Amino acid sequence: MKKFLLKILIFLLPIILLGYFVDLFISTNLRKSNLYAQKEYPTWNAILEGKLDANILIYGSSRAWVHFDPKIIEDSLQQPAYNLGIDGHTFNMQYLRHLLTLENNPKPKLIIHSIDIGTLEKGNLYNADQFLPYMLWDKTFYEYLSKYKGFTYLDFKIPLMRYYGKWDAIRTSIEMLIIPRINQPQRIRGYQGQNKTWNQDLDKAREKMTKYVIKFDKPSAILFDQYLKECKEQQIEVILVYPPIYIEGQEFIANQDEIIQGFQAFADKYDFMFLDYSDDELCLNKDYFYNASHMNKTGAELFTKKLCTEIKKQENISLH
Amino acid sequence: MLFNSIDFAIFLPIVFILYWFVTNKNLTLQNSLIVVASYLFYGWWDWRFLSLITFSIVVDYFMGILLGKEENRRKRKLLLWVSIVVNLGFLGFFKYYNFFVDNFIAAFSLFGREFKASSLNIILPVGISFYTFQTLSYTIDVYRQKIEPTKDFIAFAAFVSFFPNLVAGPIERATNLLPQFYTKRTFEYSKAADGLRQMLWGFFKKIVIADNCAEFANQIFNNSADMNGSTLVLGALFFTFQIYGDFSGYSDIAIGTSRLFGFNLMRNFNFPYFSRDIAEFWRRWHISLSTWFRDYLYIPLGGSRGGTWMKIRNTFIIFIVSGFWHGANWTFIVWGALNAVYFLPLLLTNKNRNHMETVAQGKLIPGLKEFLSMVLTFGLTVFAWIFFRAESLGHAISYISGIFSSSLFSIPHFKDATMLTPTLLLVLFFIVIEWLGRESQNAIQNLLTKNRIARWSFYYLILLLIFIFAGSSQEFIYFQF
Repeated sequence: MKKFLLKILIFLLPIILLGYFVDLFISTNLRKSNLYAQKEYPTWNAILEGKLDANILIYGSSRAWVHFDPKIIEDSLQQPAYNLGIDGHTFNMQYLRHLLTLENNPKPKLIIHSIDIGTLEKGNLYNADQFLPYMLWDKTFYEYLSKYKGFTYLDFKIPLMRYYGKWDAIRTSIEMLIIPRINQPQRIRGYQGQNKTWNQDLDKAREKMTKYVIKFDKPSAILFDQYLKECKEQQIEVILVYPPIYIEGQEFIANQDEIIQGFQAFADKYDFMFLDYSDDELCLNKDYFYNASHMNKTGAELFTKKLCTEIKKQENISLH
Repeated sequence: MLFNSIDFAIFLPIVFILYWFVTNKNLTLQNSLIVVASYLFYGWWDWRFLSLITFSIVVDYFMGILLGKEENRRKRKLLLWVSIVVNLGFLGFFKYYNFFVDNFIAAFSLFGREFKASSLNIILPVGISFYTFQTLSYTIDVYRQKIEPTKDFIAFAAFVSFFPNLVAGPIERATNLLPQFYTKRTFEYSKAADGLRQMLWGFFKKIVIADNCAEFANQIFNNSADMNGSTLVLGALFFTFQIYGDFSGYSDIAIGTSRLFGFNLMRNFNFPYFSRDIAEFWRRWHISLSTWFRDYLYIPLGGSRGGTWMKIRNTFIIFIVSGFWHGANWTFIVWGALNAVYFLPLLLTNKNRNHMETVAQGKLIPGLKEFLSMVLTFGLTVFAWIFFRAESLGHAISYISGIFSSSLFSIPHFKDATMLTPTLLLVLFFIVIEWLGRESQNAIQNLLTKNRIARWSFYYLILLLIFIFAGSSQEFIYFQF
């Protein structure tokens, strides 16, 4: 028995000893990728390395990511801006980005928070690979990611564990080391305009269901309230923006008005501005969208300019 | 609890330490530990399943004792039937109730009659077919006086619920496994090391081969109407490796685990895809089930002793029942019948025992005739697996029609082919290793035994492949049976 256990120990020893360094190698190289995990690494890197360098931050999900062009905002409002929209995620994950941003970067003056029907839904661990290089032994990531099904406790504690079966991530990490040229940045300060034309997503959704009813997740709503309160206390101005959604897509949501009223109530409670573009004329033109809830580059540029004009009109928002 | 889960990775070392270091002085205590561990292992899925297995254990334990005391032949037979009815009754209710109800309704409607009965929302307890057959083997063998009835309830409970083979076999015979619970187990280094090797290869088969092939097999079978002929052929091939990797992988892990605890389970797979005819295939595939049916069904029916018609009848019965054992669906019945059709010509021409030894024994490559026989047998098996995997008979027929269409020679097309090349290379690696190890108990048992550095490097390579290429975790296919 002693011989057996000793041999197992000797066999496993190199794996245990090398585990951390292999993990470090994979994570360090993986986070260099501008393309893997739906191009989220440059944004995470900028947040965690304190390189946001922006007075205006854009928060939200994919609608934030593709609707708000920080370059136009910078030119118009004369303040550096960065788009922190996180594709496919609801407020819980947006709040994690907010916390890490404040922890590692100077406090922003203004947050333009793109809210939508999904903001206060429960959500799931979409595009989980975006967290891989950052989550080992990190308490904040653990606190927020462990709310979802996907990673286990040991994924946060044992080196390499979370890379189990992640061939694409490991391959990308090696590629970053040996052929880094296939890594052109796609997002500019977090934003990526979508040069796309209308697709069939809405028709497919209609085939599956006739109406979609949104339910606020209570813990998410409480967290959202807490976030607005914290921003108020820290004197960070917040503008809640309900961006344009294609009109036929809006008709698909059974209780959109109720959702909008809910956000209006949040804004009123903390005396923040709420800009609702759900009945804007942009919503009527299919040419500005590539699906019911996402604008293409042309639409996004028009919308961002419109938004900036509106913000400039507001006398109570001081960015200087 | 799944073998390929973190839960099992924690569970196994704890049970191992308790087994060899804490309870090793007392046999009953050690067997009790096995029972507790097995119940924990099984209850991990759903604790409600425990009541069923407990009932089976209690019924067959007392039936065994009563059979041991009873000398009247008619009463002995009655006791045996009580055990059979109780065990098969449970199995029939949980596994086949809805199948029979649905088919009765369909049959009555054919004759213009309305038969009113509703299907039930029944959860099939994991592994019920396996432990039911295992416990039945005990009562039948006690009835046949091949084994003494046990008075040791703990040993009997450990025999029925033994966690390594509880949910997907091998289906053990009481004559082999039960006596192992009566005697003190001693730790043997070579046995335990061999067990670990077999486990490692089993994990590779399951996690790398089966789970990656499953991705493609599912993609193709679930969208077969949109696929061209060549892609459908690949889909059937991927399923062929999926089911082998999945099921034989489970058996390897089960046998390896039991060896860590000092037990010997029967062999369940013997490189079946290197068979030269279907009879050889069935001597090498799911051996514990095939031999179970042989001993408890085929031979009592008269086996091949009678005339030609009896041989044909018995062959069809055993294959169809075997198919039906796999699931309550006509696809399994047709799969069984198709194998009977493959098998019959060999039986009737007395060629069913032609290939008793391993193919190309002592040689690196097979002869041309052997190779062609293997290819033909493999092809027949792949064709039969289409019925096994299809959702319904209609699905199977449309799948086969799709293969034999003008698109058979077009380029295969996949929705997501990113893992295609790695998967094909891994399957090729798998076939090579299986071929090299085909004369051993498991493929890597005697591989590179003379050079420790090469051997350990190979084990590290297997671990690395498991780590990198672990497919998205799928439940073992045979759990549903």
